Amino acid sequence: MMDFIGHGGKEIKERILSPGEAKKKIKNLVSVEISGRIARECIDLGYGFFTPLEGFMGKADVDSVCKKMSLTDGTIWPIPIVFDISSQEIKEKGIKVGDTIVLTHTGNPLAILEVEEIFSYDKDEMAQAVLGTTDTKHPGVRMIGRMQDTFIGGKVTLVNKPQFNPPFDRFFYTPRQLRKEFKKRGWVRIVAHQTRNVPHTGHEWLMKGAWFCAHGDAPVIGNKDEIKLGTGVLVNCIIGPKRTGDYIDEAILLAHQALHDGRYFRDDVHMVSITCWDMRYAGPKEAIFHAILRTNLGCTHHMFGRDHAGVGDYYGTYDAHRIFDQLPPGSLKIKPVRVLEWWYCPVCAEVTYSGLCGHTKERQKFSGTLIRSIIKDGVKPTRVIMRPEVFDVVMECAEKYGFGSPFCTEEYLLKRNPVFVVPPLG
Amino acid sequence: MLETYPINIWINEERFEKLKAANLADMAVDRLGGMKVIQVQCTEEQKDKILKHFPMAKFDTATTKSIELLPREVKDKIFDIAIKLKSIGPDVIDEFFKSLD
Repeated sequence: MMDFIGHGGKEIKERILSPGEAKKKIKNLVSVEISGRIARECIDLGYGFFTPLEGFMGKADVDSVCKKMSLTDGTIWPIPIVFDISSQEIKEKGIKVGDTIVLTHTGNPLAILEVEEIFSYDKDEMAQAVLGTTDTKHPGVRMIGRMQDTFIGGKVTLVNKPQFNPPFDRFFYTPRQLRKEFKKRGWVRIVAHQTRNVPHTGHEWLMKGAWFCAHGDAPVIGNKDEIKLGTGVLVNCIIGPKRTGDYIDEAILLAHQALHDGRYFRDDVHMVSITCWDMRYAGPKEAIFHAILRTNLGCTHHMFGRDHAGVGDYYGTYDAHRIFDQLPPGSLKIKPVRVLEWWYCPVCAEVTYSGLCGHTKERQKFSGTLIRSIIKDGVKPTRVIMRPEVFDVVMECAEKYGFGSPFCTEEYLLKRNPVFVVPPLG
Repeated sequence: MLETYPINIWINEERFEKLKAANLADMAVDRLGGMKVIQVQCTEEQKDKILKHFPMAKFDTATTKSIELLPREVKDKIFDIAIKLKSIGPDVIDEFFKSLD
């Protein structure tokens, strides 16, 4: 029997109406056009990525998340999931508790929201509680600051399935689909690798090291060349808003797939997928959120490296490791795999683990920024730093999707093919 | 001694040929997995000025304490000045800013 139990011990249920039901249901409803972030979160809620949440949080849950890092029922949850709207729009459209409203994105209906509560919340308080700062240099603070002044709490149901455009379409799996895929592959242990980056060999070894940790005490099944491993790495690329200078989404996704196609990972131990999420850069709290998200995807382990989901120097290098020690036992189903650094050592002449290599004076640390800088300079990294297949794909993506650059430019942000579209309701 | 912050200029064949022609090949050091780089040093004041002038650039606080993601044409210009002055010190950046005026 398939296991569809997600975070908090709740079953992962999809909240989606059939097109026929949807058409009837949205007739005569007040509609609200939503932002990209809210559209992505509606998709996540509708497919169960955020299990046990069934909709946007009410005030009691937001307050509990901010003050206790848990929902009101005690389930661990670190980041408020909120629907913001201006009080003016509420007034103009006469939205009140008990209503159901239709949420449109790019003009087409995506979801309905049952208005269970309309409330306000101090945004500085929210930022301080979740991000540990109200400094507007922090991108998460700016995101909260941009929210409207009022929030609606209530259940969300998709009335229309988003259509993912190539090349994203073949990497989008719902939590239930992913769990079926894992079962089909015979994976019993799945370690998640969170990414928003084109992989260099340091990333590759983070994944391989995490695989060893997850697989370590697994029984040996099969003989000689037919050993069945049953442990896989799920590369879960986060797709969300982009800034100029970031790698383009297509390059991130297809570069990870290039590691697979280049056979740096066996076919039966590695797969690439996407999840829509607007990073809050909440460091340790976002690490817990990622653990919850990947629990719902069916992962048993989650790799956390240096500065996980952090930004600037708001969090300590390993705060995202330590926060798991503060959680009550059993509050997460997923096991964190806490990894230090992989670096290149010219003495060992290999990419090696900081926890093992003693050549601390000679070490050459990886830095995503440094690699971006190399590519930006038009220099091909050595194969010990970036696999040539990865570099080639990145440069192909620059031509095919990035208007000549593997990094987001104003032109890319303006003209790029969207990750998904919400089609007219047929 | 004042702390300085490097701008990494990665060396491809074209840049390496220019270094060799100026008899400055030794300026390039092995920085990461066989990648060659010249590191032009900035003072604190120059670092802040560079970051202000080129908002797309980033000071990598987490790992390398270097100024990264400057546009390629900016680095080409700094590289050429480094060769002209046969230096990788803050004088290169002073000269670079003069060239912008």
